[in-house]
Amino acid sequence: MSTSLRTILKVAALTAALCCFPTLAALAQEPVTIQISIQNHQFHPREIRGPANVPIILRIKNEDGTAMEFESVSLRVEKVVAAKSEGIVRLRALAPGRYEFFDDFHQETRGIFVIQ
Amino acid sequence: MLRRSKIIFQLELICLALLIESITPAIAQGQSTFYEIETKYIFGFTEGSGIGLEGEQEFSPDSVISVGKRNGSYITSQTKLKYEFTPNQFIQFELGPIVSSHHIRNVTDLDDVNRISFGGGFIEFRYLLLDRPASPLAVTIAIEPEWHRTDETSGQYIQNFGLETRINADLEIVPKRLFFGFNLLYEPETSRDATDVWTNESTVGGSAALSYRIFPSVVLGAEVWYLRHYETIGLSQFTGDAVYVGPNIYVQLNNKMFVTAAWNAQISGREVGEPGKFDLTDFSRQRIKLKFAFEF
Repeated sequence: MSTSLRTILKVAALTAALCCFPTLAALAQEPVTIQISIQNHQFHPREIRGPANVPIILRIKNEDGTAMEFESVSLRVEKVVAAKSEGIVRLRALAPGRYEFFDDFHQETRGIFVIQ
Repeated sequence: MLRRSKIIFQLELICLALLIESITPAIAQGQSTFYEIETKYIFGFTEGSGIGLEGEQEFSPDSVISVGKRNGSYITSQTKLKYEFTPNQFIQFELGPIVSSHHIRNVTDLDDVNRISFGGGFIEFRYLLLDRPASPLAVTIAIEPEWHRTDETSGQYIQNFGLETRINADLEIVPKRLFFGFNLLYEPETSRDATDVWTNESTVGGSAALSYRIFPSVVLGAEVWYLRHYETIGLSQFTGDAVYVGPNIYVQLNNKMFVTAAWNAQISGREVGEPGKFDLTDFSRQRIKLKFAFEF
């Protein structure tokens, strides 16, 4: 194996390790739990609020007779929740701001998560 | 050979026709509201900062077609059959095999080649360093070890190992409508040819791109790339540089499928020891990127 190839492999391994470190640190914080439900293809409440810089556990209760997919580009999550059941989404510590979310199976079903 | 080139161009025209046809229903279905959009693929060859959504998986054939050298007929492609997944809200992985095609005839310093083959494999790690709304600028670092069994330029059988390293960044200039993206690239490579001789090379460069969302499901943009090539991994033996410019389009076909296309032409460049205003040894005259993605 050439020296250049060994160098390339070492840089790749080191970078991958450095990338994983802050992820593990963020996951170690104590989370806050927030609940939301979906009924008749509407989120209840449509606007939810949560604290900034703290990991959040979002419990999504689907009271409809069909499955839904909780999805958000800015929250960077998607989760299928079966009919008449509950899904759990773990969110990283978020910066203050407004985060859109929606049901990917019924795209008109939308809500806002306000982080303060 | 001429017939084969015609077939390739016909295939490209078919792809273009399919793309145009796909835009029509996408526009028709477009809602009046512009919601949040993933920025990773809206800038053409320039990649945005997006890393996908936790729990999301995607499969996509992602082709880069290089066309044109100083003389002769030159059409090559590298198609990555990508499987992407995002295990958490910070990291994305991409991996898969590479399919190479080379159709080279009467090009100076290159042997005639006419083949489609298994070209190698790759794995990419993407880590989101900065994200909106915490920062107006979203930044991702991407590291992509690659292995090639055919030389991307010449199509000859070799053993090539590369490490494409990128900074992918983007800025939301007008919320959900106008985006500015830029990349920094450094790609060291080492190759062993048929005579067991190892050689090194590297490419370094950067890009800037502007993309505007004309409909909720359609983004149009343009980008400029500047690339420099060296015969060492330490950037010490400069061989040439190139400036590429071109347009791109992104179309969200439905909530699980999208297609992107980009075309870049070399508008300026220089090659050490060669007259002319392009570097057509290290880079092609034109390059085309086509990607069709299916999320699940």
